[in-house]
Amino acid sequence: MILLEALPIALLGALLGLDVVSFPQAMVSRPIVAATLAGSLVGNPPAGLLIGVVLEMIALDTLPFGASRYPEWGSAAVVGGALFAAQPAGMPGALPASTLAALLTASISGWSMVVLRRTIAGRLERSRDRIEDGSRDALLSLHLSGMSLDLLRGGLVTLIAMMIFGSLVRAIVAVWGSDSAPSHAVVVVVAATVAGGALWKVFHSVRWVLWFFFGGLLGWAALLVTR
Amino acid sequence: MYFRLLALQGSWNYETLNGTGIGFAMEPALRYLPGGTDGAAYRGALARESRYFNTHPYLAGVAVGALTRAELDGIEPARIERFRTALAGPLGSVGDRLVWASWLPFCSLVGIGVYGVGGSPMAVVGTFLLLYNAGHFLLRAWGLRIGLSRGLNVAAALGNPVLRQGPQYIGSAAALVAGVAIPLALQRVAGPGRALAGAIIGVALIGILLLAGLRERAEGWRIALGVLAVFVLYSVLT
Amino acid sequence: MGIHLYRIDDRLIHGQVVVGWGQPLNIRFLVLVDDLVASSDWEKDLYRMAVPPEMEIYFADVVTAIRNHAQYASDPRPGILITGDISSMQRLVREVKAIGSVNLGGIHHRAGRAEKLRYVFLTPEEEHQLRDLEAAGVEVTAQDVPSARARPLSEVLEGESR
Repeated sequence: MILLEALPIALLGALLGLDVVSFPQAMVSRPIVAATLAGSLVGNPPAGLLIGVVLEMIALDTLPFGASRYPEWGSAAVVGGALFAAQPAGMPGALPASTLAALLTASISGWSMVVLRRTIAGRLERSRDRIEDGSRDALLSLHLSGMSLDLLRGGLVTLIAMMIFGSLVRAIVAVWGSDSAPSHAVVVVVAATVAGGALWKVFHSVRWVLWFFFGGLLGWAALLVTR
Repeated sequence: MYFRLLALQGSWNYETLNGTGIGFAMEPALRYLPGGTDGAAYRGALARESRYFNTHPYLAGVAVGALTRAELDGIEPARIERFRTALAGPLGSVGDRLVWASWLPFCSLVGIGVYGVGGSPMAVVGTFLLLYNAGHFLLRAWGLRIGLSRGLNVAAALGNPVLRQGPQYIGSAAALVAGVAIPLALQRVAGPGRALAGAIIGVALIGILLLAGLRERAEGWRIALGVLAVFVLYSVLT
Repeated sequence: MGIHLYRIDDRLIHGQVVVGWGQPLNIRFLVLVDDLVASSDWEKDLYRMAVPPEMEIYFADVVTAIRNHAQYASDPRPGILITGDISSMQRLVREVKAIGSVNLGGIHHRAGRAEKLRYVFLTPEEEHQLRDLEAAGVEVTAQDVPSARARPLSEVLEGESR
């Protein structure tokens, strides 16, 4: 992947990375949106949407609180969407390889958020006396520089991930050994398992929750029969 | 102030968490304190409000509103500080339950469902964003308004039935949607073939039971990463 | 069942407790041990709003908590006991021998405190108090949410490698 191609994608990664925590948290950064937008940028929105749905299911597992490191899905889904949408249609290894690249990016990006939050704490340390004195300028400059750094963070993570994974994913797809059908199936099983586990974790204490779920399954079965 | 609330977490850090963001959002209102931005009242209030605070970003408006009202009414600082400390946790708890643990997964599942029934990229993205943000922006606006109007007596407002009972109802609806949406979406991703669909759902169910057994110990995305890494390596090497 | 977790957290009740621990462990009651909160009605009103309808909350000062501990421990439902600072937990542990482990969930920055973990900041005196707890045979670990690793006290006091 050459730098020029990666730049617009990095810009999108920066904007959506900012949405995750800093501004405006409108969940434009959810994989189902972010990957689709990245796919559109590469000229293949349906492919972006497909991997977006897979990543969205895996992302259901992340509850964004706690000081622990958690994966950052905004920039990661941009990377996943752009990579998958750029592969020729019907290539067997494309989905697993792109999904893997997105998961790795999510992990790296989560780590970059920790670094950012430490950096802001360091800046806070330096301007603490002025903020404790009620200085408007010190507070505004801390806050705005924090947001700018976050924007830069998302952009850099996306750019670096695209440079590394762009050629890597293409190479993996080129030498992919196994059949095409199971390649999607494995990804689907993984996504479904994670989604199911995550939903159970969040909703198991809801009254009659399994009955509602079975009700939904019945609806699905009815659709299958009538179609 | 509403616009600044959207950027509440711009300076999130491990020392003051949302604290500096609270100060940032309140700052325009504090200028009305006697003496303006150079007055002692303004500087004292801004410093006080920028200290450590930890809450849910969407409901932070309740705190920003209530604290603004208290500062402008000239309530004594010690009482404001006590109130500020006590308010953070409950708002965080209510917001985490309502937004991160119900509304977001529900909207996510609806989006996945629209994909499952064959929706176009525009339809999926549009449905998800409109639905989610209708709730999101309303909640923020409600919070700021109720905080400003109730001031220190805001506790009762948190008893609002949407906040109390909402997560239960949204949870039930989410389970119903999940039953239709996830299998449909899986079918569309996996491509045609009934035997394949059956096998996928069978293996996934076993996996879910395993994950549910591990409960709080398991981090699903790490497991996904591990399994996919092994699969990709295997396929490349053979 | 009884009390599953003895937690020190200066935020008392918030999302990590109610959702992070509450959902996977199926927590049905909380005991909030804090002398100031126990004597303030408006603060109690606020914390009541923090717990979901299916969870019950009890307020107690340290003395009451010591007296009622047997009752909490024999409750058929799973619960969590929270104090806002180390001293309260220390007083509790001294009188209640049944407490075998204590969780550090969040002690945040304040003048005089140094960073040990991202969510644990301690003064030298507080470090000493925690060592005393462990010397008294209580296991002290830091863990903000259940999916994170529980870090033993010795590791916490060394601080995080940056």
